[in-house]
Formats: sequence, C-alpha cells, structure tokens
Amino acid sequence: MSTDIKTRSEIGEILYHLTRDRLGLAGLIIVSLIVFSAILAPWIVPYDPIAMNIPDRLQGPSLSHLLGTDQLGRDTFSRVIMGGRVALQVAIPTIAGAISIGLFLGMIAGYGPKWLDTLIVLLFDTLRSFPTVMFALAVVALVGPSLNTVILVIMITSIPTYGRVVRTLTQSLRSSEFITAEKSLGASTTRILGVHILPNVLGPLAVLAAMDIPTVVGLEAGLSFLGMGVKPPTPSWGSLLNDGYSLIRNTPWLIISGGIPLILTTLGFTFLGEALRDVVDPKLRGRGGVK
Amino acid sequence: MLVYILKRLGLAAVITVLAVSLLFVIIHLIPGDPVSTMLGPKASPELRAALEARMGLDKPLPVQIGLFFLNMLKGDLGIDVFSNRAVTDIVLGQVPYTLTLILFSIFWSASLGIILGCYSAVNRNSIGDRLTGILSVSVIAMPAFVVALYSLLIFAVWLKWFPAIGAGEPGDWGDQFWHLILPSLAIGLSWVGYIARLVRASMLEILGEGHIRTARAFGLPERWVTYRYALRLAILPTVTVIGVGMGFLLSAAVFTEIVFSRPGLGKLVIDSITTRNYPVVMGSVLFSTLIFVASTTLADIINAVLDPRARAGK
Repeated sequence: MSTDIKTRSEIGEILYHLTRDRLGLAGLIIVSLIVFSAILAPWIVPYDPIAMNIPDRLQGPSLSHLLGTDQLGRDTFSRVIMGGRVALQVAIPTIAGAISIGLFLGMIAGYGPKWLDTLIVLLFDTLRSFPTVMFALAVVALVGPSLNTVILVIMITSIPTYGRVVRTLTQSLRSSEFITAEKSLGASTTRILGVHILPNVLGPLAVLAAMDIPTVVGLEAGLSFLGMGVKPPTPSWGSLLNDGYSLIRNTPWLIISGGIPLILTTLGFTFLGEALRDVVDPKLRGRGGVK
Repeated sequence: MLVYILKRLGLAAVITVLAVSLLFVIIHLIPGDPVSTMLGPKASPELRAALEARMGLDKPLPVQIGLFFLNMLKGDLGIDVFSNRAVTDIVLGQVPYTLTLILFSIFWSASLGIILGCYSAVNRNSIGDRLTGILSVSVIAMPAFVVALYSLLIFAVWLKWFPAIGAGEPGDWGDQFWHLILPSLAIGLSWVGYIARLVRASMLEILGEGHIRTARAFGLPERWVTYRYALRLAILPTVTVIGVGMGFLLSAAVFTEIVFSRPGLGKLVIDSITTRNYPVVMGSVLFSTLIFVASTTLADIINAVLDPRARAGK
C-alpha cells in the first residue's frame, strides 16, 4: 500500500527482497566479492602471478605470501585472485552465448509451427546427449588445449538447458489472454515475441544462468585441472589444483587454496540463484537446482 | 505401453544417429585433423596419405559417416593404430570400471537422499528439515573433482584411512570395495543434496493429494500411508533425474578416475589424448554418448511403467 514500494524500480525491488533472505544476502556478498576481485585483480595482487622465484618455492602461508608459494615460487594468493578472472572470462561468454542461442531457438520452437518445434526439440535432445567433458576432450584432442575450445564446447552443450525452458514458457504464454488480445489487435509476430514474450522469459532465464555459472566455472577448472583448458603459465583455479595434485605429499596449500574459491563460487551463485528464484517466481520454491 | 516403449526406443535411435553425425561434422569443421594429430607436423605426404586411407579419411564426409554406422552396427569402431587392437575391445575393457563407480555412487547417494528427503517432508520445518535444506543447497553444485581432491588430501594422504590410487586387486572384492569408497563419495555427494530436495518437494506435493487423504480417511496407519503410498510416487522424479543426469555422472567419473588414478573411460581418454591416439578418443566419446542416450531412454521407460500419467503426457 505504501507509495515507496510502488516507486521502487524493478531491480531495486529484487535487491530489496534478496537482502531480506539470509542465504540470498550471503550469496550476494560472496558473488560481489568474487566479481570485484576479478575486475580489480591487477590492482589487488601483491605479486606478479606468473613471476617465478625459485629460492622461495613451496612455502607455507606467511605474511609475505598469504597462501604460500608453488613449485616455481609463484605467489599462490596472486594466482588465486587472477584465476577468478579466468573463471569469469570463460563463464560469462559461455552463458551469454548459450542464452542467446537458446532464447532464439526456444522462442521459435514455442511459437512457430509444429514441425519446426519437433525439429528444434530433436536438436536440443541431440546436443544434450553429448557428455560435456567427453565431448570437450574429443575436441581438445584435435585442436589442443585452449580456453576458446572450452567456451565453445560448454556453450554448445548448454544451449538445450536454456532453449527448453524458453520453449515451455513461450508455449504457455502463447495461449494466454493478453497475447490473444495483442494478436486480435493486429500485432506482428516479431512484436509479440520481442515486446511481450521476451520480458516474461528473462526472469526465469536469469535464475537459470545464476545457477549455471558454478557448473561452467567448475567445468573450466576441471578441464584446466586435466591440463586441457588454460595453457601454463596462465593462472586458473584448475591449474592450481593440478599443481597441487602432483605435489599433494609435499604441500597441501595449493589444493586448499585452489579449491576454496571454487567452493565459494559454487555456494555464492547457488544461494543467489535460489533466492533470486523465490523473488522472480514464488511458485518454483522448493524445486531442485539445475542438473 | 508397448507402443510407448517402441516409440521411445525409436527416438533414442534417431538421437544416437544425429548425435554421432553431428559429432563427425563438428570434428570435421574445426581446424586440425586426426592425421596430423597422430603423426605430428613433420610427417611425409606418403605416410599421411597411407594413414588417411587406412582410417577412411580420404572419402567425402557423408560416406565417412555412412561407413562409420555400418561398422558400428558390426561392433567395429576401428583399429587402434598403435597397438593394433580393436578400439571396441579397448573401450569395452574400461567400461565396467566406470559403470561400477557410477552405479555405486548413485546407489549410496540416492538411498541417503531419499531417506533425508522423506524425513524432511514428514517432519516439515523441524530442525532436521532445516539442516537438511541448508546442507542440500550447499553440496548441490559442488564440483566432483574438488570433493575428490579434498577427500584424497584428508582421508588418504593425512589420515591414511583409505587407499589413494587404483581400483584394488583384481579378484579381491573387499579390496576393490575399499578403493571405491572415496571416489564414490566424490561423485555422489552433490546428488545427496539434489535428490533429498527433489524427494522432499514431491513428497510434500503428494501428501496433500486426494488419494492420500482417502487412504487416511480409511484409517490406514500413517506409516503405511507415508511409505507405501506416498513414497512410491515421490521417488519417481528421482528416476528421471538420475537418467538425465548420466552426462554429469560420466563427467564426474572422468575427473574422479584421474584424481584417484583408477582405470576407466576417463583415464583411457586422457591417456589416449596424451599419446595422440585419436581413434581411441573417438571410441570412448561415442561409448559415453551411447551410455547417456541409453540411460535417458531407460529412465523414461521405467517412469512410464511406474506412472501411467507419464505415458499419456508424452
């Protein structure tokens, strides 16, 4: 009833509800920390993350090296911070690409003729049947490890996740009264899709994207852990874990500091996604996450 | 029922054909080709031509795909150029290790997940329910290889409770089981949270439905109603989710096999990439695609058998 709720913008409204939810607030704080440290990384890092310093190698945490050093004497803390940059550099284009293509195909499938729908659903089912990591490994086997390969492969296999949701939403909106009204007023298909359906699909997509980020970040780290992602000496959380794995009996610090940012990213984005879902669509409450 | 099963199997066949063809097209489109991958850049043109002819790569793409299916139906995925063994044999030798790992992981995590989810739904809003809820959200998206590395560090390297590498002595079941515990913990952990949430949600939905009220009105004991009527329906979504999640399980298995140096499909692929053994890589990828399509199909069919509504909905 009060006027201040009415005048609040939509984003303000979402933020207001997010901060009321304890897990949502925790998620928001963790995610902001990760995003800001990735953006400001070059100014935060105390050392050059790829500068070797052999005499100081394999040290434990100390005041000069907060998380110790690796086998080449590189500062682990600096590598962790720069690794966040790599993680987001992979996650953002991957998810943006998958959303755009999924949105396009999903709306066509949901609004277009039946045969096109069948065809696109078949395409989704096909893309979905590639086990992501195996597929990525097959491509890497041919072109060699690179971040672009990782981005491309995860993007292709993520398209169905978004496309299917968009398709279902478009289908249910298509028969709703306000769309029928628009149609009878003579609105074009592009106008209906772009002006009326698109805004209604974006909310659930944002939730899905927030929940999908940890999966993508985890895959990038996993492939880099296998030596199939970033090329050395670029720091990635996965390559830190790889170094730590081979030195597991010498020092635990590399594994500990490579894993914690991954766990934090996972927790932060999952909490945020959960809370966001409750704000965007209370009906979805209590359902499982993205798998 | 039979019609539905046949239709579903037909769809699975179409998807397999499409997936394999698409894989061929993508591999064909990207720069880099199998022959230079295997021989390196310095190979002589004659050697390249010979290998191309041997692998059938000199023929046009549609012919390659057609030949590939023809051979696949005969169970022939090509010959490993290094050891001269059939790729099918090499891959099939590793599949049981990966499947055992995946099945054991899903068995323990689904059992625990169903128990937790059921408990949460019955004791809604209790402390136990809240704890389960927070725990589920926290482990749900945990990357399997991070859990694998941490459990390796804590339970194998520090505490020395479990072995760190291998799959155990062949023939010694106890030893093999011992080697299975940490890897399956890594793969299953996120599924416990996921399944617990799923079972809780569907259990709550079903407990509010009419037939449960009727059963209660007939004076059936509450335990009977909960476990015989409600739970039976509430675990249905779990079946579907496990079937669809096979891709994630396979990915998790790849990482876990590497971390614990276990034999299996994942280890085979990584080793084959390192030795540039392209036919074996392709063979393993195809096999995992087949396993994945088979498991989604199976999950749909089981679902249709258990729940008549699913048949009508398709």
